[in-house]
Amino acid sequence: MMNKKGQEEMVGFAVISIIIGVIILVVIGFMVNKKDTNLTADYEIESFIQSSLQYTSECQDSLGFVSLQELIISCRREETCLDGKSSCDALNSTLKGLVENAWTVGDQSSIKGYEFDIKTGEQSTLNFKKGNQTANYISGFQSFARNGQDYTLSLNLYS
Amino acid sequence: MVATKPYRFFPHEFPFKFESCLIKNRKGQLKIQQMIFMIIAVLLLFIMVGLFFLSISLNKMQKEATSLAEKNSMLLVAKLANSPEFSCENAFGSNKPNCIDFDKVIALKRNIAKYSDFWGVAKIEIRKVYPNEGNISCTDKNYPDCGDLKILDKNVEILSYASTFVTLCRKEFSETGPYNKCELARLLISSQDKT
Repeated sequence: MMNKKGQEEMVGFAVISIIIGVIILVVIGFMVNKKDTNLTADYEIESFIQSSLQYTSECQDSLGFVSLQELIISCRREETCLDGKSSCDALNSTLKGLVENAWTVGDQSSIKGYEFDIKTGEQSTLNFKKGNQTANYISGFQSFARNGQDYTLSLNLYS
Repeated sequence: MVATKPYRFFPHEFPFKFESCLIKNRKGQLKIQQMIFMIIAVLLLFIMVGLFFLSISLNKMQKEATSLAEKNSMLLVAKLANSPEFSCENAFGSNKPNCIDFDKVIALKRNIAKYSDFWGVAKIEIRKVYPNEGNISCTDKNYPDCGDLKILDKNVEILSYASTFVTLCRKEFSETGPYNKCELARLLISSQDKT
């Protein structure tokens, strides 16, 4: 009789312990799964495009060295730099230099690939990509207008 | 519940009844002991669970404080480039967003002692991204041919850096006269780790 009572008490204690254990596990699981939103990356991409537009390129016109924004417009107009180089070639090399130095792409990096695109209206003026294009990506864009023409720059970073 | 008969002591029953009384007393003491142990065990369990939750909540609070400091750095870095101490304003044409006047910040570095607590951060740094000039630290002697300008550099434990891209502009001279030279850089900020 005494044995049975002791056994019942032990079972009760075990049940309570299991219930408390399960509650603790649920609480821990909830805390661990709570994801932190990452807003930095989106902001960084947009600040990158915005700052790049003001970058002074090596291409010179009659007024002096042109900014990347002006170089995009020159490329659209198929103009050449004072040194005879095509403005589109200058734009391509300058943009690649900017993107490759700003974002490290590779297997060791968190960024597995990127795609940069410049659109004039609906038409793509310049597009280049590197690395793997995965389903997980973040993007940013910046647009400006000149002489009634809309220009949109976008950058996708794949992770 | 089984009702127990109250025990009455009769001297003629002495040796036998006294023994039985002792056994019953012992049983009661054992039961009281058992209950005390159980209460102590349950109390210990609750204390342990309480301590566990307390440590979790303290840990969470610490993480929240760190995350808040990091978010503050992020917000500050976003607006610092446009503050009067850093921004290009109209020195390089029309008002440019996210533009830092390189000439202005190198002068700021010389007088940083006056501003050490102004922004409430431990480190403010500008790293050139393109053209890449490596990790050459900027001084009055090698300016502007350098890659890293440490404006504020307190010797304390820091949190992770918050950064944003900026345009770093300065006045340059060529055969045709002065012109604006703008490069791509990263503005980095880090707060002190107070945890």
